[in-house]
Formats: sequence, structure tokens, C-alpha cells
Amino acid sequence: MEFLWTGLMQLGDPSVALAMVVGAILGVIAGAIPGAGAAVTISILLPTTFAMEPLTGMTLLLGVYCGSAYGSAIPAIMINTPGSPVAVLTAMEARPFVLRGETRRALSLAYSSSFVGGVLAVLALMLLTLPLANVAKHFGSAEFAMLALAALVLVVIGHQGRRVEAAAAMAFGLFLATVGIETAFSTQRYTFGVPSLIGGIPLVPMVIGLFAMSEALVQLTARGATPPIVQLKGRFFDGFAEVFRYPRTLFGSSAIGILCGIMPGVGEFLAQQVNYVWARKLSPEGHLFGKGAPEGIIVSEATNNSVPPAALIPMLALGIPGEELTAMMLAVFLVHNVIPGPDLFLTRPEFVAGLYWTLLVMNFIIIVFLLLATGLIAKAALVNKRFLGVAILTLSLIGTYASNYNFADVGIAMAFAFLGFILRQHRWPLTPILLGLVMGPILEGRMRQALGGANGDLTIFVTRPISAVMVAALALLIVLTVRANWKARKPRTECQINDQ
Amino acid sequence: MNDADPDATAAPNRLESLALTLIFTLVSGGLLAAIDIATRSNARGGWWTQPWLMPGIALTILACANAITLWREVADLRRTPPDAAERAAARAAILGWLRPVEYLGWFGAYLWAIQHLGYALATLAFVLFLIWRAGLWSPRWALAGVGLCVFMMLVFRVGLGVWMPAPDLYDMFPQAVRTVLIRWF
Repeated sequence: MEFLWTGLMQLGDPSVALAMVVGAILGVIAGAIPGAGAAVTISILLPTTFAMEPLTGMTLLLGVYCGSAYGSAIPAIMINTPGSPVAVLTAMEARPFVLRGETRRALSLAYSSSFVGGVLAVLALMLLTLPLANVAKHFGSAEFAMLALAALVLVVIGHQGRRVEAAAAMAFGLFLATVGIETAFSTQRYTFGVPSLIGGIPLVPMVIGLFAMSEALVQLTARGATPPIVQLKGRFFDGFAEVFRYPRTLFGSSAIGILCGIMPGVGEFLAQQVNYVWARKLSPEGHLFGKGAPEGIIVSEATNNSVPPAALIPMLALGIPGEELTAMMLAVFLVHNVIPGPDLFLTRPEFVAGLYWTLLVMNFIIIVFLLLATGLIAKAALVNKRFLGVAILTLSLIGTYASNYNFADVGIAMAFAFLGFILRQHRWPLTPILLGLVMGPILEGRMRQALGGANGDLTIFVTRPISAVMVAALALLIVLTVRANWKARKPRTECQINDQ
Repeated sequence: MNDADPDATAAPNRLESLALTLIFTLVSGGLLAAIDIATRSNARGGWWTQPWLMPGIALTILACANAITLWREVADLRRTPPDAAERAAARAAILGWLRPVEYLGWFGAYLWAIQHLGYALATLAFVLFLIWRAGLWSPRWALAGVGLCVFMMLVFRVGLGVWMPAPDLYDMFPQAVRTVLIRWF
């Protein structure tokens, strides 16, 4: 109780309160602009948070993360353009509502289910993180190595239809993590005598190049007209109470979203697909799914919003980021020498508890902002793509150059921007590259420690009970995935990916 | 869903994809072949401490995954060989890789300009030029560009206090003016 009280006190800090409001508003607007989104905004903001207190910086980024999950429903409903893959289901289900003149009902259904999903996920974060961290206290290097490996395997498996490309991207990230001086023997790896590579591939320029600048290049070179905005019709509060007429769908979607958020590498998109399938099967109105079913919007939005807070559970308790946005946030932790993992609850309890409360309060700020400003936010969704590209590219300089004042960093960002552009054009996933880069040092360090303790005996991973269970689960998952893939082979162009 | 944006729905050209995968395969194979030179060390520990181990594992997975992708793409092209139109589209698509290079070139010029003209002036010039280059030619867009610059100055230079190096241009001003320019512009 005292732990939570300490966190509540943090909300009194004006900088934290301001970060909450600014982050939430910025997130909603970024989510509402197709082409902007959380990854682009967080990667641009990332270096500016390094000068802030850890809680303030994290609050700002989490505000963007959570706010964008809410905001993505606006263009999906009002201009029938999903800004991200996780808004595709919302766009599909909301279209008939719009045609019937029930735009406000669709929006309020989306907001209300987002709110329930978001709040339940924060409660899960509050309840589950500490017990998980207590379990993790019994983990040794073998278990942490297996956890890191599991995150990498899951992120590949999560890219259904593009798993080989995801494996290549993940391996590329792992390789990038090895560039620079290796710690055990101070050996230079793949630096080829270039001094700026001795310190390794810097995370911030790489993230900005891969996620923000490449998106700017896509927008600058894009064609096509922006569709007209739909007029707000109907009563706003129609959908707010309506979501509770479908408790099984609402709470079930939130619960599965939380579970998928906890599992590294799964993410919102896969969680949505899983939820959508079971909700359609179990619902008495299953035949209406895809034709404007309220439950379709509930599934999509409750899942979408329950994943972000849940994704923080493995990161805070184990130090394992599950997807690209938490991987970016890990950089903020490391810059401030806040090491996520079981010891975090002993060393920085006020920080962890503060995060819980800011996340909870943020959901209320977002919903109030949405109720007041939906009409205005919808106009932001119509921003010209090429102008958006100009803005993102200009903003990217702040992150790449001003974070280190190093021209080599800008060169690295530009190289990754070009690579990101090409990969986006060919629908290669980007997230596994970042996860590989972030997880690589954890995996290598922990594997070395585990094998060092066992004098190089690989059976260390199967003789320790927890590690053995993880190995068995991973092996089973891989076998089942390969089998399922073999049974249902389909052309890759028909499949969607979950991070672009 | 809205399909107004052809870029969002068009499938990548198969020959262009093949060219890309071929480049990836060659690069990953080349990096793997260079592992001995690129990770040479005097490490005297067990096999698990060798510096080549992790890059070796990563590059092996990378090379194999690229090879599998390449094999699948070749198989697909053998099943349904490309026609002349697809080949022409592939050439155009590969040439299209130069489009981002142009914008990245302007980005490099922007960086150079910051050191000589200062952040405010360089940003204004970069934004207005890029807006014009992107085909947004009406005065409304120029005004929006100026607004964007003012917003960035207020948020990053005034609000967050992001430091920028003093440019050559500011040396032409008296010390007091130069200090103000360095602090705010």
C-alpha cells in the first residue's frame, strides 16, 4: 500500500503532470494522423526525454504510446483510413455505422472499449508486475538468456506470412548489436577500422532513421489524394453504455489483449486477430461481424488499448521489451541508469509506482480530451502526406544531431532511413531489427554467463527446471508453427504484417 | 477501406524484390565470409567467449533467411515468368530507389547549413525548399512551413533548450547579439 502511495505522490510533481497531459494529447493527435503514429513520434521525442527526470520522460513517451492507440480509431472511423494495421478492423466494422449516419455511436463505442481495455491493463500491470518480478528473482543467467531468446522467437512467429523475412530482420538486428568493441576481450567486431563504429551502432539515430525518417521518405514520395472527412452525426453517448451490453466480448478481449501484451513479440495486431476470431465464434450476432457489428469495434479497440500497458509488465519485471515501442523506452531507462528487472522494485519503487499511476490517470485525460476535441483531431488526420513528410524529416534532425552533436550519427540515421524506406516498400518488417539490436547484448551477455558457470556445457539450459520448461515451450511452439505453416501455405502477398 | 492511396495497396514488383533479396543475400554472405578478419582477437577463453560466436550465429541466420527468400522468389518467377511490362516496371521501381536518396541529400545539405547559417535560418530554408520540392506550391503551404519552423523553434530551442553549435554566420554580429542568436536561434 505504501508502495502505491509513494507513486501517487509523484503525480504532484508539475513536470510529471505536464508530461502526462502533453504526452496524452500528442499521442492522440499522432495516432489520428495516418503516417505519424506512436513509433515515429516516440523516436523523434526519445532524445529530448534524456534531459528529463526518468519518470517525466517515461510519462511523456507512455502518453504518446497510449494516446496513439486511442487516436488511431479517429481516421479509421471518420475517413475510413486506418493509420496503422491495428485500426484496420475498426475501419472495416465502423464503415456501416458511418453510412447509417451513426458516426458518433461508432466513435463512442471505440472510445469506451479503449478506455475499459486501457484501465484493465493498467490494473493488470499493478497486480502482476511485482509477483512476476518476485518469481524472476529466482532466475539465473540461463533463464534470462532463454527469456531473451523467447522474445526473439516470438517476434518472428508473430509476423505471420512474413516469418522468413522477420527472421532475417531479427538476425540483422542481432548482428548490428555485435558491431563495436566486445566487452570480454575488447575485440573490435565489424568496425573495419571506422572510429565511429567502435562504440557500436547508436540506438537513437538507428531508431530515428529506421522508423521516423524512413516514414518521412515514404510520405514525401507518396501519391494519392486524401479522402474527405465524414460529418459527425448521431449522439455521442450512445456507444458509451452500449459496450457493457457485451461484457464477454469487452472483458474477454481486454483479458486476451493483456495476455498477448505480456508475451514478448506478440503485439496488438496478433492479439486483435485472435480476439476477433473467437468473438465472432462465440457471439450470437457473429454473422454481423464485418458488416458493422458493435462487438467488432469493441474487440478491435479493447484489444488495441490493453496491449501497451501490459507490454510494460515483462519490461519492468524482467527487463525484456516485448515490442518496438517498449524497446525504444528501454533506452530512456538505460540513459538514466535505471535498470529494469527484479531489482527495480527495491532500488526505484517510487519510479515504478509513479508509472502505474500516470498510466491510470492518462486514460482519463485521454478520454476527456477525445470527448472535447474529436472534431478538431479529425481535421489533423487530413494533413497533407507530403507536408507531413517534410515535418517528420525536419524534426528528425533534432534527434539525430542534437542528441550527441555527432555527424557520424546523422550518417547512420540516413543509412537506416534509406534501408527502412526500401524495407517498407517491400513490406519487410522493421520491428525485429530493433528488437534484435536491443536484445542482442542481453542474450549474448547472459549466455556467456550461463555457459561460463557450466564450463561451456550446453545442457545447463535443460538441467535447470525453469530454463528447461522455457526450452520445451519454445521448441513446442516452433514445431507447432512450422507444422501449421506447412498445412496452410498461402502466397505471402495475401498476408499482412503487424508493424508498418 | 479507403483505397485512394495506390502506394498503400500495390504489391511490390517481383523482379525488384528479387534484386533486393539478391543484394541482401550477397551482403550477408560477404559479412559472414569476413567473420575471421572482422572479429580477429587474442581471446583465450572457452568457445562460448569467442568474439566471433554471436555475429557468427546472427549472420548465419541472416544468410540462410535471405537465401530461403531468394529461393522462393526465384521459384515464383519460374512458375510465372515475368512479362515485358513487369520487367519495365521493375526497372522503374529500382530507379525509384533514388527518390529517397535525393531527399536524404537535401537533409545532408540542411545539416551543413546549420553549421554555417544557424538552426533557425537553415530550418526555414530547408522546410520551404522541401515543401516546394514536394510539389506544394501554393502560398498557403509556404505559410504552413513558416508556422512549422516557428513551432519547432518554440518547442525545441525555447521550450526544451536544445543546444545547437554556433554557426559561422553569427560571428559577423557584435558579441551581445551573437549571444542572443546562439541562445534562441
